[in-house]
Amino acid sequence: MNAPAEEPVSRPPDPAAFWQMRGISKRYGGVVALDGVDFACHPGAIHAILGENGAGKSTLIKIAAGVVQPSAGTLLLDGEAVTFAGPQDANAKGIVCIFQELSLMPDLSVADNISMADPPLRWGLIDHRAQRRRAEELLSKVGCDDVNPLELVKNLPLSRRQMVEIAKALGRNPRMLILDEATSALTAADVEKVYAILGELRAQGLAILYISHRMHEIEELADTCSVFRNGRHIETFAKGTRSDSEIVQLMIGREYTQVYPPKPQHETPPEPELEITGLTWGNRLADISLSVGKGEIVGLGGLDGQGQRELLLALFGVLRGVTGEVKVAGRRLRLTSPQFAKSSAVGIALIPEDRKSEGLLLPMSVRDNISMASISHFTRGLFIDRERQNAEIDEMVRRLSIKAGDVDDPVATLSGGNQQKVVIAKWLMTNARIVLLNDPTRGIDVGTKQEIYQLLRDLAAAGTAILFYTTDYDELIGCCDRVSIMYDGRIVRELEGEAINEENIVASALNLMLDDRSEVSSQAEEPA
Amino acid sequence: MSIQENMQGALQGALKSVDRPVVIAFGFIVVMLLAGSLYSSSFLSANYLLQQLQVAAFLGIIASGVMLVILLGHIDLSIPWLVTVGGMMSTAAAGWWGPEYAIPFGLFCGLVFGLINGLGVAILRVPSMIFTLGINAVAQGVMVLHTGGFAPQDHASETMRWLAVERSFLNIPNAVFIWAVIGIAVVILLKRTPLGRYIYAIGNQEGATFLSGVNTKAVLIACFAISGMCSAMAGVLLAGYSNKGYQAMGDPYLLPAIAAVVLGGTHILGGRGTYLGTVAGVILISLLQSILSVMQMPEAGRQIIYGCVIIGMLLVYGRGQRVQG
Repeated sequence: MNAPAEEPVSRPPDPAAFWQMRGISKRYGGVVALDGVDFACHPGAIHAILGENGAGKSTLIKIAAGVVQPSAGTLLLDGEAVTFAGPQDANAKGIVCIFQELSLMPDLSVADNISMADPPLRWGLIDHRAQRRRAEELLSKVGCDDVNPLELVKNLPLSRRQMVEIAKALGRNPRMLILDEATSALTAADVEKVYAILGELRAQGLAILYISHRMHEIEELADTCSVFRNGRHIETFAKGTRSDSEIVQLMIGREYTQVYPPKPQHETPPEPELEITGLTWGNRLADISLSVGKGEIVGLGGLDGQGQRELLLALFGVLRGVTGEVKVAGRRLRLTSPQFAKSSAVGIALIPEDRKSEGLLLPMSVRDNISMASISHFTRGLFIDRERQNAEIDEMVRRLSIKAGDVDDPVATLSGGNQQKVVIAKWLMTNARIVLLNDPTRGIDVGTKQEIYQLLRDLAAAGTAILFYTTDYDELIGCCDRVSIMYDGRIVRELEGEAINEENIVASALNLMLDDRSEVSSQAEEPA
Repeated sequence: MSIQENMQGALQGALKSVDRPVVIAFGFIVVMLLAGSLYSSSFLSANYLLQQLQVAAFLGIIASGVMLVILLGHIDLSIPWLVTVGGMMSTAAAGWWGPEYAIPFGLFCGLVFGLINGLGVAILRVPSMIFTLGINAVAQGVMVLHTGGFAPQDHASETMRWLAVERSFLNIPNAVFIWAVIGIAVVILLKRTPLGRYIYAIGNQEGATFLSGVNTKAVLIACFAISGMCSAMAGVLLAGYSNKGYQAMGDPYLLPAIAAVVLGGTHILGGRGTYLGTVAGVILISLLQSILSVMQMPEAGRQIIYGCVIIGMLLVYGRGQRVQG
């Protein structure tokens, strides 16, 4: 579907574009990740891609890099249709991608890593001297002459590794270089260096596709920006033609399909059940202070990977070396293990991020899964009192209307939504007074989502304190009494009441304050 | 939708095949007995079968413990010398303090080594394959020291002999009753107690079990301790059977014990398996060894056939599991 209104005005058909994607769609099962996207790239330009979580950015670059195949549409290279059999094929045709997770082997040398895919050979054996020369050449291209090619990658600081990664990519003679969040792990000084190199590569005529969540980075670097939303290409515009608030407007504006239960009005602020002060963990969580009241749903927002997951794990006693103060119902606690966190003295439950690997034991029965966290409630002497256990499980299955053919079937036979209900049921069985949720509605159907919203509201009404991390800001608006937005391991903004709206959420997630920009940009420049 | 239906179909198939290895193992036992009876009619005599059970009991007791460890997704390679520890320390204790201390002390030593195994795997996080192998070597060294410094008594106590050799009831060897008691205890443990539930859970997904607030370390330690005690118990009985404890008496039991568990359908990576399967595996292995020796197969041929049967049967199971995956 290409509605004419969606056709961006500022993107004239351009013969100079050597790389084009026409009508690209990608479906994963029933989920549409990309929907009829047209996109073009020019040599000698840095092209930034912007979008919320789930906007389709990653799918776009995966298709460009040959990692996944599009469900529909054509890729054009120099005006001719191409298909990529795999990443190697894309590399051979000059498209090289640097993914978010570094792909270097820590126990191999820099030179080995740079020539990983096609080491120089001599009589069928690796020619170490040639390999070293090549590494030196490429490293000096990215301004890292000081890196010894024989050094092991694990001995290099993170910023250097990122440079080696770029050098490795350049070794494949790319015409188009794709960088996915290439600077997210770097300090300000190193970021400057990456900028300088990217500028140089642009001057040499490379096309650079750049994905970043740092707005000021994009302003500094990009020649062109494209905004994606909901798997669609919304607009492409030249640098400097749109203000930050206009860009934020382009990124939001999604249709609302969800119906949320009404939020109750609290006359007086609820009595705090969970209080966190100055929580810090390594360089991933910095000085987090937060409180969740009895009967309150507090949302945790922000882009993926800003420390939300770590915060929930820290509260559940999984992480070692967490500093700061945590109070539950006014009592100061040291949360040292999930076993302690779930005990009746504390009463914390965590619905983890990945239900398949963290929440469920897929081959085991629905029954065993539901009772897994609360078996100790059903023991008589050494043994499990199965009658009492089964009665409570059946009650829970009814209460959450879990649709299972038989509660003795493996939980893997259930649909995603029902599996998630099983995870929730498991934790409701522990009578937790604080429930932490890590993106519980990801990948489940709309009907079940609404049941979960209602359930959360009912739990809150019964006095449970709920801390709810979601990547869907619609849920933050519809479901939460208060919202805290995280960025780079810190809570950058707390929103309440009417202030919980799309503009504020998206802007804070990018660490922008639209009303007072100067303050923020100075904050963002601070080295982490 | 259709993906879900496919998944459900595949899973129902998986469900049906859960008991398949057990059926295959029992089928193979019957086939071996029938084939043996063609060779000699004594293969179906009660006396021969009871004798087989007598021999199988030692293996069965070891396999009971190691099955728990394998269900966790770990392995216990310290079996040979923990068996030896059980045998030698029980006879030694009988000499030092009197025969009534023999069995408790033998079991206690197995428990201590088992606990060390558990601590190493659960707390130090050393892969069980390496750690238990190391403990096996340590146990060997300790036993050599023990016999090298001074000459301890190596004669089994009366009780040990009675348990291992006598047939007090219905002409059934007493050792079989001990195996039965341990077996029933393991079945109850696996089916009726929280510990059993946690064992399967850890074998399926240790991370998810930990995030359910289960003390996974305690479960690991408990299973290795039980495995150590089972090996030591088998050592006690073996010492009673041959009337003395001696070096390397447990050496022939490592591969058969693990093979029995795995041939019985317990997944080598953990999380799936029934005790009935282990019983079938133990009988199958014992019978195979016996038939090969009765047929006067030369030792070399015996080893080749023995190894091929184990690998062949695992291939049959493995195919089923790949289809499920």
